[in-house]
Amino acid sequence: MAIEVYRIDDRLVHGQVVVGWGQPLALGFLVLVDDQVAASDWERDLYRMGVPPEMAVYFESVESALSHLAEYRQLPDPGLLLTGGTATMRSLVERDPAITRVNVGGLHHRAGRSPRLRYVFLDAGEESDLRAIGARGVDVTAQDVPGADPVPLDELLARSGG
Amino acid sequence: MIDPVTLIHLTIVGAIVGLDFVSFPQAMLSRPLVSATLGGWLCGDTASGLLVGVLLECFALETMPFGASRYPEWGPAAVAAGAMAAVPGNAELVARTLPMAVLCGLCAAMVGGQTLVWLRRFNLSVAERYRDALAAGDATALVSVHWTGMILDFGRAGAVTALFVMVMLPLRAALVDALHTVSGETSLAVVAVLATGVAGGAVWKVVHTARDYVRYLLVGLLAGAAVVVLR
Amino acid sequence: MTPPRSLPPGTWLHVFARLFAVQGSYNYEAMIGNGIAYAAEPAFRLLPGGRDGEAYRAAMARHSRYFNAHPYLAALAVGALVRAELEGEQPDRVERFRTACCGPLGAAGDRLVWAGWLPFCSALALLAYGLGASAAGVLFVFVGTYNVGHVALRAWGLRAGYREGLKVASALASPVLRTGPLHVARALAAVAGAALPLVLLRLSGAPLRPFGLALGAAALLAVALTRWQARVDGWRVGVALLLLFFLYSVVR
Repeated sequence: MAIEVYRIDDRLVHGQVVVGWGQPLALGFLVLVDDQVAASDWERDLYRMGVPPEMAVYFESVESALSHLAEYRQLPDPGLLLTGGTATMRSLVERDPAITRVNVGGLHHRAGRSPRLRYVFLDAGEESDLRAIGARGVDVTAQDVPGADPVPLDELLARSGG
Repeated sequence: MIDPVTLIHLTIVGAIVGLDFVSFPQAMLSRPLVSATLGGWLCGDTASGLLVGVLLECFALETMPFGASRYPEWGPAAVAAGAMAAVPGNAELVARTLPMAVLCGLCAAMVGGQTLVWLRRFNLSVAERYRDALAAGDATALVSVHWTGMILDFGRAGAVTALFVMVMLPLRAALVDALHTVSGETSLAVVAVLATGVAGGAVWKVVHTARDYVRYLLVGLLAGAAVVVLR
Repeated sequence: MTPPRSLPPGTWLHVFARLFAVQGSYNYEAMIGNGIAYAAEPAFRLLPGGRDGEAYRAAMARHSRYFNAHPYLAALAVGALVRAELEGEQPDRVERFRTACCGPLGAAGDRLVWAGWLPFCSALALLAYGLGASAAGVLFVFVGTYNVGHVALRAWGLRAGYREGLKVASALASPVLRTGPLHVARALAAVAGAALPLVLLRLSGAPLRPFGLALGAAALLAVALTRWQARVDGWRVGVALLLLFFLYSVVR
């Protein structure tokens, strides 16, 4: 099975991921790509507790993820790859041409970000990352849960306000 | 026409169950099973309210209120739908009204969900007015923002309940004569099949990732079938 | 500063009561951040200097920022954050903890409550209805059963969070949160399996043969919805089919 979803979500592992996407897609594993989390024992423990026992979770830095992605794609169950920000996803997309679709699942408010959707707030750098990902022919859409309508990148970037 | 006292009672109950949904205390009074039954009870027909509540609850099994995702708001819609189906002492008319009451309840739940989105945006504008005070750790500002949100939610839920009741009850009065072409028995069967079918799909969505779920489902089905046959 | 082993009872009750309003000012920027600060505020009064102290104001400012988690398990975060503040933890460590615990608390709560306990209690109430319970009986089963779990989870969360502080991952390893959803899902499968045919029977009030037809039609719809589950919501399909039936019955 393939990695079904490549998702950008600053909450990383949470209900929309493990239940919202996990149940309809019957996900068998998550790959969490984040340099800081990969290097921190207590953060890994915390995120592991958010994942159901029947679902595997693998913690990777950007570098280690790139060397293991091909193996994850060979696993028998469908999986979901998560990054906490656009820069990490951009790094993966630029070095792994097998990523053809990216889901913007949640980037929440913080200083410097402006609202695009009620669950997507972007700063200039993030906007530029998403444009760069889209420019490589990757289909970028914003969609928090499977039942919601996907919002294409152009429309997302053209929006202002939640 | 609905009498003003009943409208006020429905509005207050709608406001309470609407507040319960997200703001306080999330005791699930907002579920259709509870809200619609209360709506029917206030209109003198608890049994019909419960009937609508059971049907809407089957649909509600499918919607989960994940974080900021958009979902229907059941409470005020179900109060109004319960009131719409309430026709004390006329079971045939209740049955013929049910598809309309459930349909209106579902549509109203979508509208209610949208008003929650507007409320959250308005809450943000209130918080923005107090941004500096909140950043300075001013507890008075925080309490103001928080209580404003809850009072607004209570008012919002009451207002949408009153609106739903004032639209749905005249709609029943206007259309009820047109519904005589289908018997109450058929109407009830159709809406019951739809509701339990949707509920079945919803339950499968939740349980199909659990190990051995089929075994448990079969045990339940057999037990249910045994009760049906033995009755 | 050494925090008390447990919060004074009055403070604990005050915080606990406010936890029920943790989503009172939910908005798309801070999410439940304001609610976290609102709930924790009575405990922050124990900080050096009390309500007029610098530590109190700093804690209030920190915790009214963005936070999002399952509202019931937010109790665990509030307990842990209160403990951290009373222990005088470094602000940057508290901030990293806030960021890291949002997701796991959301995931664990969504699995256990929204996708477990709530549908289970619904199914239990539907079973009571199918077995012939009165309106009061059905409501008692639903509201009573649900809120036993609901209130207990919030109370446990506050206690466990305060006890563990920033080491709250060990509380999240509790069997209730780890394997609880699996057991609840199995119980849901069994209860719903029994409830839905009985609900259909009581609703339609039909003799056995047409009931078999109705059950078959409902099962067919359920199977179709499971096939399309990633693309359509069942309740939207229900709206469409009801609308068709309604139009048919009006124009016939």
